[in-house]
Amino acid sequence: MMEPADAAPRARSGVVVEAKGLTRRFGPHLALDGLDLRIERGEAFGLLGANGAGKTTFIRLVTGFLLPSAGSVTVDGITAVADPSGVSARIGFVAETTRLYPELRVGTFLRFAGGARGLSGPELNARIDAGVARFHLESSLARPLGHLSKGFQQRVNLAQAFLHDPPLMIVDEPTGGLDPLQQEEVRAVLRELRGERTLILCTHDLGEARELTERVAVLFRGRRVAIGPTEEVLSGDDPLELFRGTGRSAA
Amino acid sequence: MTALRALIRKELLVLFGAPMAYVALTLVVLVTALIFFDHLRIYNQTLFLFASSNMGGFESDTVPDYINLRDTVFFPVMETMGITLIGLIPLVTMRVFAEERARGTDELLMTTALTPGQIVFAKFAVTYLFVTIMMVASFVYPAMAIIEGGIGAQHLASVFVGLTLHSIALASIGLACSAYTSNQLVAAVAGWAVGFVLWDFSWITSFSFVGERTIGFLDAISLHLRYGSFAEGIVNLAHLVYFIALAALAAAIARFSFDWRRVAG
Repeated sequence: MMEPADAAPRARSGVVVEAKGLTRRFGPHLALDGLDLRIERGEAFGLLGANGAGKTTFIRLVTGFLLPSAGSVTVDGITAVADPSGVSARIGFVAETTRLYPELRVGTFLRFAGGARGLSGPELNARIDAGVARFHLESSLARPLGHLSKGFQQRVNLAQAFLHDPPLMIVDEPTGGLDPLQQEEVRAVLRELRGERTLILCTHDLGEARELTERVAVLFRGRRVAIGPTEEVLSGDDPLELFRGTGRSAA
Repeated sequence: MTALRALIRKELLVLFGAPMAYVALTLVVLVTALIFFDHLRIYNQTLFLFASSNMGGFESDTVPDYINLRDTVFFPVMETMGITLIGLIPLVTMRVFAEERARGTDELLMTTALTPGQIVFAKFAVTYLFVTIMMVASFVYPAMAIIEGGIGAQHLASVFVGLTLHSIALASIGLACSAYTSNQLVAAVAGWAVGFVLWDFSWITSFSFVGERTIGFLDAISLHLRYGSFAEGIVNLAHLVYFIALAALAAAIARFSFDWRRVAG
């Protein structure tokens, strides 16, 4: 089981993420429809919904990978449109496991990921060493990413996102395709993040949301159908009703 | 600058870490050798025919002037290589952007300190380097024809520059095509299509309905005319500008793909 390298409690830090009237169209399809959302500093926030609800679109709008059709989303008051490097410096992004370079060795990939975020020299070495220790990658450093199990690949994915010590971690479906043991390993890492920095977790796994987040928003066809403390939103006989857009709306 | 250096290093590792690079390199050298030795065979056969069908053969000056290494081997080899490269270069460029999109690693790149301009620059620069290495490897045979044909070092340099610029132009076209798709096959086919269309417009300019201005324009954008001039040993500034402009245009088109994707999704 993974343990934090530095288990000392840290002050609640991170960034504020705020979406105002955030809308995104793909041709005639409305992927996000006027989303209003505020994620507080240091909050572990879950974005829930079925496939196609608009979760990944929201993430892509936060990172600046997509531009909004209307409205805005800011990270600590700045938008990816106005200051893309300012936003990317604040974000650690963990996509699904397959989004890596299978031909690169783990050490080489981490060196690239750190370098691409402007780290170099002794600082880069120190950050890589810390990441390797935190995610227990010592035995895999010389192995090509394509030869690793999905669980190990996701550890590497998490390690690369931590290299520049970002105040905002965005994690998209982190346990998809992993076996139960690997899922638990990844969740253990994400549990450590609570309060340490702002976390946006995209998932359709309700158990994961309950375990890792303090507050959630449920999206259905691009609209926010519920938002509130996780236990409150996911209480009731059938929380999946929210995923179908037929449940009660939480404030 | 640190981010750009890291990306260039990664591109080099990914390129030279994949078997495709070596397959392409070997293919180019093999195809060039085949083209060269085939023309050399024709040249030798022609010489033999003249030598055996005329009393005295070589010594009696019965071999016409136009049967020489320059015209019978060198120029046809260069011509065939120019067309062959249109087929081979897109095999190198097809994966450069398309693979990032297919894997989803482009999203990872966009959350780093790298700008789209830096990503395009790094990918173009590394591909140009690889294409230049390909040309050095494949230039052995044309160089032999030039040296043996007594054409001279200046001509040799001009031909190499022309061959490299032609390859870089084709690589630029292939990279621009690769930037707009996640499918490597689509990228390769688009690269072939644009390369072959741009190679030579003489098929369309021969029609009577095509006006002089159109012919002038099509000639101006034709790869074949520029490449052919280098093959003849002529280094013309206008031709250099043509290749640089083509590369810059392709880079701008590839750069635009990032903005286009942010809008179109």
